[in-house]
Amino acid sequence: MPSEHCMDVWAVVPEMVLAGLALALVPVVGFARGRWRAFPAIAAVIGLVVALAVTAFMLALPPTAAFCDTWAVDRFATFYKLLLEFGALITVLVLASHFHGHRQMPHAPILVLFGTVGGMGLAASLDLGLIILFLQMVSLPSYLLVGLVRSDRRAQEATMKYFLYAAAALAVMAYGLTFLFGLTGSLELRAIGKGLHGADQVWVVVAFGLVLVGYAFEATLVPFHFWAPDAYEGATAPAAGFVSVVPKIAAFGGLLRLLLEALAGGEAAWPLVIAAVAVATMTFGNLVALRQTGLKRLLAYSSIAQAGYVLIAVAVADRAEGAVAAVGFYLLAYLLMNLGAFLVVAQLERTFGTDSIRAIRGLGRRSPWPGAAMALCLLSLAGIPPLAGFAGKVFLLSAAIDGGMTWLAVIGAVNMAVGLYYYVRVIAEMYFETPLRGESVTGGIGYLAGLALSVAGTVVFGVVPNPALLLSSLGQLLH
Amino acid sequence: MLNAVIYIPLLTGLVVLLVPGSRPDLVRRIAFAGSAATLVLSLVLWAGFDAAGPDLQWRSTADWIPSIGAAYDVAVDGVSLPLIVLTALLLTVVMVYVLPEHDRAHAHAFLFLLLATGLLGVFAARDLLLFYLFFEIGLVPMYFIIGMWGGERRRYAAFKFFLYTRAGSLAMLLGFLGLYLSMEPHTFSLPAIIKAQPLANAPGASALVFFGLLLGFGVKLPTVPIHNWLPDAHVEAPTEGSVVLAGLQLKMGGYGLVAVLLPALPQAVQRFGWLLLALALLSLLYGALAALAQSDMKRLVAYTSINHMGYVTLAIAVAAMSTSASVRSLALNGAIIQMVSHGLLTGGMFLMVGMLQHRTGTRELARFGGLIGKLPAYSALFAALAFGSFGLPGLSGFIAEFQVIGATLNVSVWIAALVVLSLVIMTGVYLRLAGVLMGRSPESMPSLAPLSARELGLAGALTAVSMLIGIVPGSLVAAVSGATRLFAQF
Repeated sequence: MPSEHCMDVWAVVPEMVLAGLALALVPVVGFARGRWRAFPAIAAVIGLVVALAVTAFMLALPPTAAFCDTWAVDRFATFYKLLLEFGALITVLVLASHFHGHRQMPHAPILVLFGTVGGMGLAASLDLGLIILFLQMVSLPSYLLVGLVRSDRRAQEATMKYFLYAAAALAVMAYGLTFLFGLTGSLELRAIGKGLHGADQVWVVVAFGLVLVGYAFEATLVPFHFWAPDAYEGATAPAAGFVSVVPKIAAFGGLLRLLLEALAGGEAAWPLVIAAVAVATMTFGNLVALRQTGLKRLLAYSSIAQAGYVLIAVAVADRAEGAVAAVGFYLLAYLLMNLGAFLVVAQLERTFGTDSIRAIRGLGRRSPWPGAAMALCLLSLAGIPPLAGFAGKVFLLSAAIDGGMTWLAVIGAVNMAVGLYYYVRVIAEMYFETPLRGESVTGGIGYLAGLALSVAGTVVFGVVPNPALLLSSLGQLLH
Repeated sequence: MLNAVIYIPLLTGLVVLLVPGSRPDLVRRIAFAGSAATLVLSLVLWAGFDAAGPDLQWRSTADWIPSIGAAYDVAVDGVSLPLIVLTALLLTVVMVYVLPEHDRAHAHAFLFLLLATGLLGVFAARDLLLFYLFFEIGLVPMYFIIGMWGGERRRYAAFKFFLYTRAGSLAMLLGFLGLYLSMEPHTFSLPAIIKAQPLANAPGASALVFFGLLLGFGVKLPTVPIHNWLPDAHVEAPTEGSVVLAGLQLKMGGYGLVAVLLPALPQAVQRFGWLLLALALLSLLYGALAALAQSDMKRLVAYTSINHMGYVTLAIAVAAMSTSASVRSLALNGAIIQMVSHGLLTGGMFLMVGMLQHRTGTRELARFGGLIGKLPAYSALFAALAFGSFGLPGLSGFIAEFQVIGATLNVSVWIAALVVLSLVIMTGVYLRLAGVLMGRSPESMPSLAPLSARELGLAGALTAVSMLIGIVPGSLVAAVSGATRLFAQF
């Protein structure tokens, strides 16, 4: 192992910017009073913009592996880092408005920064030890974000549930990783990929099954999704938005890397396993979402279903040309539309103190702009053109048919038709009913900026998907 | 120029959103001006169209998603041009009809204009992904229109409309993806697919794609047994919504069958010609019988649409079964003219029913009678539109149905006999409608205000255009047959 590749600090500049900023802010926030409570949020926004710029610059670097081959510097990792930083940016903006004047205001951005660094690390890790470390690092701040409002007993309960689930799932996953190590004698994904060729398939299946549990937990795949609706419901809406986007995107990035680098030959029949999980996830998410009356729970089940859609292309990632790019594009679209929807729920929650579907009644009339933004995000989640969610679904279904899984594409399309019901139910409440209460939702610069970013992205990447698709197809090449 | 026609409605719609909330009258006037400009420019398209020229004219292309082989590609041919002009005409009619309506005028005008851009785009798109995109833009606003301005059960009707449409569209999308992936290199370009016939020798794949597209277009047409959304949507929709729904949105289905399904998969259409024929006869007879049983005038007109659109399916079935190119061409000509004619006449009928409802608050057939003595101008137009829909010579419906039945006779006398049977039932339907005009007025009939010049002008204009086609069909038939000859060459 050449020693000059074991200390490449340049490879982690964006992570260091964010982690350094977060560490520097920790001692400061205790003293933040009055107007200074906004300081961590402003610093985090600046830090994230800097990190985005540095990461974008890293797209141009030739692919390599740093830190003794444990840390990938490739366009795949860079693309996922950009996604995560962008999601964090929107979250920080929203949190700033949501907790404006609250005691929690200075704490929230720090947690977002730590979680984001964890996600970024997961996208780049080539080593089993780092993978489990970064999975913990993306989860831990997420529990704290969920339980941010210490006076809220439901939030505390949600945090506990989330934490216990995570501890169990990640322990199972770590156990699975020991099997991979035992089978191949290596912790590195690429070495494992080579070592698994001659290994006993039974043990490969066991190892894969156990490892999948961890990713399935983070990405809310059935049957490891149970924590999500409770955690989202207990959390404040912006925190739920963050938890529904950043850990999930990081998990998909990590899962793709594992499948394509360590199980490259389709070992353990993973394409079929993933396809089956995709069917279960989207069907279950959609069916349960039909009956929800709280918006956060509804969006929780919706995000489970959306994760199932993404898996459609993951299942053919090794055989269909555009599959990895389709996953990347869809995750970008999901990030924008899902954060946009959670953002409007956040505004409702701050104004009316509830996220029940009745609170949104007549929103189209009393607050036309947030109403229109919510409608656009929901229509995009449902896959109506010309929005980003539509373009993304076309790419996913196309990849599945191209990869020889037409049946999966058909099940996906049926699910998308069913999914329309609950999105449209919310839209009908907003537009077809007269408001129960007259006031409009509260605004705020952070809400406005976050909403502008997510809605503009949803529309622009829907009408002109090409730049984003090109960007995500840059990430097709893993090394 | 074609792009101007497609996007002027959308731009007008965006301008309308900027008008201050206190000026609904200004919203209405701007929306009218935008739709009138669209109509004028669409007529310029028509004037510049060379019926003997190349099959795609006014073409405009640009890169869109080159990495997956989807392009921005719009053009007109003899089939799409009449439908584009019809769209612009009915959009203008609607905008004039709603001039005095001020309830949430901004959203109302925006949705109709957005929908118009979608419809115009569908008829112009030459790329399947672009077609799909415009297809949904042409449909989703109607969900809001029914839900926001509809009758009592509007939420149910709007939802049913959306769900049927969405299920159909997703099936269609999978079909498009099948065609796309069968091309090498992958492309969504419709002219390229028609030229290459990628699924000509793949019976299994072409059957799957055929059923996907048939489901997508069949829901919109609608054909029995997937027509169930239509009566509810029509009854709950506001009058102007029904005009656009029947006059234009149903045409997306017919246009898709003639201009996408048939040329892209001629072998599959021939193979499943019997199925199309069965669906057509079912729609013709069921639509007529169901219309006969209605007591609500709007529901009655809605069911006649199912009957009338049955001619479009019939024409395609006949084209698939016939071996003679001239018979095929005749049938397809009839299908296109039927679509234009139905847009004018049924659009007009919905306006007439809307005017009665606006005055009296009811659409029950039994509540009216002897209108001819009370509202002579209204009655004359009502009669002209009703009998025109029925196929009275001199109006456009006759030209259309005559051609389709003529082509059918060439294929089988027995099928033609069944079509004539549906015509006989339809006679009963129109006689019931005519009962509104003749006979004695019921005691309980509400009093009626005479028509305003605006209302008279609208219904008169639609009748006049239909008569123009009925008496001098030359220009329309020439444009249409240029295109159908191409589709008939398989």
